Amino acid sequence: MVSFALLFPISILAGFVGAIGGMGGGVILIPALTLLGVDIKHAIAISILSVIATSSGSASAYVRDHLTNLKVGMFLEMFTIVGALAGARITIASSSAPLYIIFGLVLLGSWIALFAAGHYSWREPQKQDAVSQWLELEGSYPDQVLGKTVHYKARRAYFGAPLMFGAGIIAGLLGIGAGAVKVLIHDLVMGLPPKVSTTTSNLIIGVTALAGTSVYLYAGLIKPGLAAPVILGVVIGAFLGTRLLVRLSNQAVRRVFLFILLILAAEMIFRGLRGV
Amino acid sequence: MNVPPSHHLVSRTASKAEARQFEMDVLVGHILLYGVMLSLLLICSGLIWRWFNAGNLRFDYELSGMNLFQLVAAEMKQALHAELRPRLLLSLGIAVLMLTPFIRVLASVFYFLIFQKNWKYALFTSLVLIVLTYSLFLR
Repeated sequence: MVSFALLFPISILAGFVGAIGGMGGGVILIPALTLLGVDIKHAIAISILSVIATSSGSASAYVRDHLTNLKVGMFLEMFTIVGALAGARITIASSSAPLYIIFGLVLLGSWIALFAAGHYSWREPQKQDAVSQWLELEGSYPDQVLGKTVHYKARRAYFGAPLMFGAGIIAGLLGIGAGAVKVLIHDLVMGLPPKVSTTTSNLIIGVTALAGTSVYLYAGLIKPGLAAPVILGVVIGAFLGTRLLVRLSNQAVRRVFLFILLILAAEMIFRGLRGV
Repeated sequence: MNVPPSHHLVSRTASKAEARQFEMDVLVGHILLYGVMLSLLLICSGLIWRWFNAGNLRFDYELSGMNLFQLVAAEMKQALHAELRPRLLLSLGIAVLMLTPFIRVLASVFYFLIFQKNWKYALFTSLVLIVLTYSLFLR
């Protein structure tokens, strides 16, 4: 069993780098744990448990700042949790090598999403469709930078919902928050303002991770001795990263993160192809 | 409610429904915050206790074929042995962590049902609650 002295600092680092890159710790944590010799299914199970802590921790602040749209979150949760249950079951039934490859591919996808995210700008709401209107998917939030309340209307909920089911599958399957995927759906499909989209995705991630975690718990894949240092480490790392991000948030940090992500993606795919 | 300066503009124009939404925000935010904090506290205490008891931080136990409630029940029984008590704290920390989003959803159901009388969202959140309950009771 991997020792506390090794797991704890690695988890802090994973949480830190994840937060700096605007993602959860999972994308860094899982490759790191497997490099330490932890079986990938155990790594996935522990990661998704720690995702509950990091996402709930940051969601609590965003919700109280009135940035999160609870109705959008609670509507979309219905789809992500079912996806997560299915995804976790697939992982348990699967062999290890394909998991490495899928993980690498999703990292590559997140890389592209993050790369593209810099080029997206939100526009004022157009006409809302009947479905989204019936679902009351609209809101407003106090924008500190603009110094006014921004009103918005979400669109195409009928299209966003099934896509969220897919995001849930990825989360459950790989033990990550899959925040990049969720934000992409919020932004491009449903037309939410960026701040609302990231904070609402955070809220959804916690519940989605819980659905996945309970499947892994029952399968006996969560070892508390491994989970404890990881949960503590990732939360501490994420907290530090978020604090630092407020002061840093420049292009250089983004580039370093994108670089790390790319290396990890290549490494995971390579290991998967080699048969682990 | 204590409204920070930046929200003045909002509170002035807020309709009744929006004001209620804000209360909901505060409720959900606090559930998540205190849940995570309690969980971390339990895990930390378990680790520290173990350190003072045994001089190491090794917890080599597995939880197989148990859902959350079976786990807590089993750990409670084993905690009768003094040397296993730090382990109980660790397992409880994990249990509290898992229950945090669950309680958030539970509170939302009641909020939509009782305070907002929004049947549509009471139904949606209930569906989420049912699926989560099912997953926590997996066997």
